Amino acid sequence: MNTLTESTTLPRESESLWGKALYKFRRDRTGMISLGVVLFFFVIALGVWMGLWGQHWSAIEGPMWAKPGAEHWLGTNIIGQDIFQRAIYSTKTAFEVGMVVAILSTILGGILGALSGYFANSWVDELILWLMGVLDSIPFYLFVAAIAFALQGYPYSMHIAMIATFWTTTSRLVRGEVIKLKNFEFVEAARAIGLPRNKIIFRHIMPNTYHILLVQATIVFVSAIKSEVILSFLGLGVVDGVSWGLMIAESTQEVQAGHYSNFLTASTFLFVLVMAFNMFSDSLQDALDPKKVSA
Amino acid sequence: MSKRISGLLILLSILLAGGCSDGPDTNGMKIYRHSLKGAPTSLDPVQAATTYANHVVVNIYDTLYSYKYLARPYQVKPNLAVDLPEVSADGLTYTIRIKEGVEFTDDPAFPNGKGREVTAADFVYSLKRHFDPKTRSQGSWFWAGRIKGMAEWKKAGSDYDEEVEGLKALDRYTIQIILNKPFPQLVHTLAQGYAAVVPKEAVEHYGREFSVRPVGSGPFRLQRFDSVGVVLVRNPKFRQEPIDLAYEGYDEAVHGQYGIQEIEGKIPPLVDRLEIHFVKESLSRWNSFTKGNEIQYAEIPKELLDDVLSEKKPKLIMKPEYAQRFFMIGGIENAFVFSTFNMRDPEIGYNPDPQREKMNHALRCAIRYAFDWEERNRTFYSDIGFIFPGIIPPVVPEYDPDLSRASLEYNPERGQKLLQEAGWTADNLPTLDYGAVAGVEHRQFFEQYRGWLMKIGYPKEKVVFNSFASFGDYNKAIKQAKIKIIGMAWALDYPDAENTLQLFYGPNGAPGSNSTNFNDPEFNRLYELTSVMQPSPERTRLYRKMNQIVIDSCAIVSGLSRTRIFMWHKDVVSFPNEDIVGGFHLKYVDVKEAQK
Repeated sequence: MNTLTESTTLPRESESLWGKALYKFRRDRTGMISLGVVLFFFVIALGVWMGLWGQHWSAIEGPMWAKPGAEHWLGTNIIGQDIFQRAIYSTKTAFEVGMVVAILSTILGGILGALSGYFANSWVDELILWLMGVLDSIPFYLFVAAIAFALQGYPYSMHIAMIATFWTTTSRLVRGEVIKLKNFEFVEAARAIGLPRNKIIFRHIMPNTYHILLVQATIVFVSAIKSEVILSFLGLGVVDGVSWGLMIAESTQEVQAGHYSNFLTASTFLFVLVMAFNMFSDSLQDALDPKKVSA
Repeated sequence: MSKRISGLLILLSILLAGGCSDGPDTNGMKIYRHSLKGAPTSLDPVQAATTYANHVVVNIYDTLYSYKYLARPYQVKPNLAVDLPEVSADGLTYTIRIKEGVEFTDDPAFPNGKGREVTAADFVYSLKRHFDPKTRSQGSWFWAGRIKGMAEWKKAGSDYDEEVEGLKALDRYTIQIILNKPFPQLVHTLAQGYAAVVPKEAVEHYGREFSVRPVGSGPFRLQRFDSVGVVLVRNPKFRQEPIDLAYEGYDEAVHGQYGIQEIEGKIPPLVDRLEIHFVKESLSRWNSFTKGNEIQYAEIPKELLDDVLSEKKPKLIMKPEYAQRFFMIGGIENAFVFSTFNMRDPEIGYNPDPQREKMNHALRCAIRYAFDWEERNRTFYSDIGFIFPGIIPPVVPEYDPDLSRASLEYNPERGQKLLQEAGWTADNLPTLDYGAVAGVEHRQFFEQYRGWLMKIGYPKEKVVFNSFASFGDYNKAIKQAKIKIIGMAWALDYPDAENTLQLFYGPNGAPGSNSTNFNDPEFNRLYELTSVMQPSPERTRLYRKMNQIVIDSCAIVSGLSRTRIFMWHKDVVSFPNEDIVGGFHLKYVDVKEAQK
């Protein structure tokens, strides 16, 4: 409706891919709103991390199943812990898991994908493809259970399992992109002036896959949060602390007894963040799609 | 064409009718449909390790002793034995006479398929089987090291033709057991499914199949056994012994309401067919119980307590819609839950430094003050658990109802003060790991525990959850004395406080049953003294003294016995029990109407 007005207020469109993507993203209202929601959750998580709020998640401060009120905004759970405090603290858990898994699996997927793509049809490529095939063939939850069992008591076993499985998709995408890029003129030019292979791969080719990595990182972020919730629900996830998955797991008995606060709070927090992140991810994908950007 | 179709229809109806029938026609039969929340894996008495197996085994086989149907506290009574054993003055020699004329059920394992008379030699053979490595007995620990000459017999290759000095058939109907040292609980062990009498012919005839082809002399015989359930039918050869309710402990005030007086003088078993359905899922079991006559007995699922009961305290009362259709009984379980400290850990248990030893004692006592049993009961046991001090639970006769309840006091302020006085600060307090099997409820137990500890000033980060993937892993860690705080539940094998006191006897320390690694010289001395004593007021006094030693040491935070609520249909005459009497009660169950 007022796109003309909006476009006049925005800075001039840049000629680079990133500039065009930023321009396009800022015009995407859904994307901007979802980014706002994600940032809001991020601020909550940051506040918990800095000790500003959500620090009383483990204290027993009220009676069993207190109703929502001034003292306990969303009531208390079966052992008298404040549900709001626990939900807030769980935001930090979600971001912690999401970010650790997203960053590390994207880095791993990016590097191995680039190597695999650059050395396509060589033994390096074969080895990496074989590894990806093996990891993809193991059912995810079985794999996590096996790792949790092998690393008994280790608080990051869930993270390791997720990183070990989530990098493969990123790697496949990057591999395809690198196979395409390595025949471009700028790569041939780099080769012609005698640059070493690692420089060609990591300084010249990889930066051109960042748009894939960024989108993939957001997708992995969401998957990691969802997986964490499921794994914690199954008792394979968070070892110490609290998470939305744990809250939902502990609410199963409460729901049968007619107390819904724990379940609704955790589900709502999870739903809003996952939805927002998904929409943000979609918008980002649209904005970074070279075909759409250049169109 | 039409002939062909009608032919197919007839064939189909025959097939369908065949599929519906379950053995012989049940019309006119009295059928009781019991249920259990687990299934036995074997019906061989040497493998009767679970309640589920025990329930079935004691109904197919005979044991020398059993428990009185209605008497509480539980009382042993002769079953296959004529009377209680004659015990020599030194408590080492037991002489037991068994009933004459008792026969095994007819089975192809016997010559001409006709069951023969049960003799003393059968009991000797059955008990020897526990010490034959080939049977992989799960119950040998009951008698290991106790029967004279048994260890040597096992070492010599478990030859059944060889005699064991301490286990003999003196004649056709007399058994003699000679012990290495007095074991007053022996008679209780002879009332377990493990001690059931099996015929050698059947063991040899069926070989490995014996675990699913039981042949006994009990009130029932097996008709079907699979993962869904077991079907037993009346043993027509079972001895004729009319029920004497007064002897069984009948009390009009307690049992009158269930119509149990109707079975007086009748001869068990009272039903023709006993079906035991294995339904693991509590809600499925409940639905099956309430929707009709699919099963006639079930436990109320914890999550439905408030739906079924109109009152929980001081008395359990059913809502009228349930009371119209069902009978109910609520009883304290034959077990208790408690948590212990690993006394072998110098950070919280015994310490060679006397000063630190004192500090550790104060720390344990402070934690005990932080533990709110009433809240734990409300939160996790529907507020109907029975809280008691110490390690002698209310189901055993040695329980002391007048024992001081000071060790159950919830007083975080006092706990905090105790810590300060002993010199503990947030900095020097040890990190406590709370061990449990991974799972929501265990995590909640931990979080509640940690929340209480925080109230006495324990830093949150110093109380950590040590979760284990399976009970096996958890148990392994306990056996290696690796965990500081251990959440425990102990189900008694027999109604004698010795069974819980042995959990604190020093030499039983990890990897033994003493997971607390409690090792008090006076306690050990008293345990050794009482372990050879027959039940007496003096033994009870010493048991209680030992209980007090454990309480004073603050080595445990104890305890609570859960209340279990069972219901059964009103057309069934029963007084169910899943603990000590267990499966023995099933031969007394009657149903008012036969199958139509």
